[in-house]
Amino acid sequence: MKTLLADFHIHTLLSPCAEIEMTPHHIVLRAAQYGVDAVAITDHNASANAAAAVKAAQQYGIKVFPGMEVECREEAHIVVLFDTLGQLADWQKVVDANMSGLKNNAERFGAQFIVDDDDNFIAEEERMLLGPLKLPAREVISRVNAMGGIAIAAHVDRPSYSLLMQLGFLPSDMGLAAAEISPMGLKELKEQKLKMPLGGLNYVTDSDAHMMDSFISGPKNLITVKDLTVAELRLAIEGTEGRSWQPGCFITRRDG
Amino acid sequence: MQIKEVINSLNLQLLTHTGDMQAEVTGGYASDLLSNVMGQAEPGMVWVTMQGHQNVAAVASLIGLSAVVVAGGAPVEEETLKKADANNINIAVTDLPAYVVAGQLALGITNGK
Repeated sequence: MKTLLADFHIHTLLSPCAEIEMTPHHIVLRAAQYGVDAVAITDHNASANAAAAVKAAQQYGIKVFPGMEVECREEAHIVVLFDTLGQLADWQKVVDANMSGLKNNAERFGAQFIVDDDDNFIAEEERMLLGPLKLPAREVISRVNAMGGIAIAAHVDRPSYSLLMQLGFLPSDMGLAAAEISPMGLKELKEQKLKMPLGGLNYVTDSDAHMMDSFISGPKNLITVKDLTVAELRLAIEGTEGRSWQPGCFITRRDG
Repeated sequence: MQIKEVINSLNLQLLTHTGDMQAEVTGGYASDLLSNVMGQAEPGMVWVTMQGHQNVAAVASLIGLSAVVVAGGAPVEEETLKKADANNINIAVTDLPAYVVAGQLALGITNGK
């Protein structure tokens, strides 16, 4: 078993709302400097920068979970994580087939850049990544689970794009592995206001970083697992067989 | 006014089978945020929404709404209809936009007692 600091919700510059500094290489470099052992790359309805992060992370010994922040038909966000880029690519095909068909307005929403593992520009994503897929939440979650992934309701405490706010409560049979509390919701969580409507779901805390400052200062999780796999994350969230998951942890050191 | 009159006059398509068609309509509410509906809607109201998730049936049952109108041609999940029928909830759909449905309801029904 090993105990590691992990952040499972981070945007790259592929997300229109993220800063240009959020390149895959820069994220894993900072993760290494600040002692974050594992990160997930989770762009809005997109995955084209995940491979660059996985590759760039090798030289730093950082684990990258290929992931995505999916917007379901109910206009709520769901963080999904996979073990392999192949699984994510299969999921991306499902996403592509269920997008709105609208083009991005870069001036209004921000540009969507695809880069390589060394920060070189590859392409600009033309499709509008913001906006709901045609898939309802239940189908997003069940299909991700069937493909070997894990689904977490994103920032459930936020007034917008939250499954909890959109749906009023989270049904216990949705297939969610956990609910994420946003950095702003941590205080409320301490007062236990959010416990009831989560319907028994365990919670996680991630930075949901769109800029480097919020990645460094944002909440993370201290997890105890055998390996960094999706299956181990499930066990850790449930706290079974010696694994554990402690949300609300922050960076405490800086190397190099 | 009874809910069946509302459904007939707005030409809504009823998708459920077990709801009370004689239910007295006390007013209306329009929102796509179920958390908001749970706090604001009152028994007997007609709820206009574009959400088709199964929680729609649960919220309608919880509050005791006379019907849910899913507007704008938005899809309603099969599970939602099953849950509605199990709880005697009326769910009707229409291609009319939510604004038009709410407008027509407001012309015919006034909120409050």
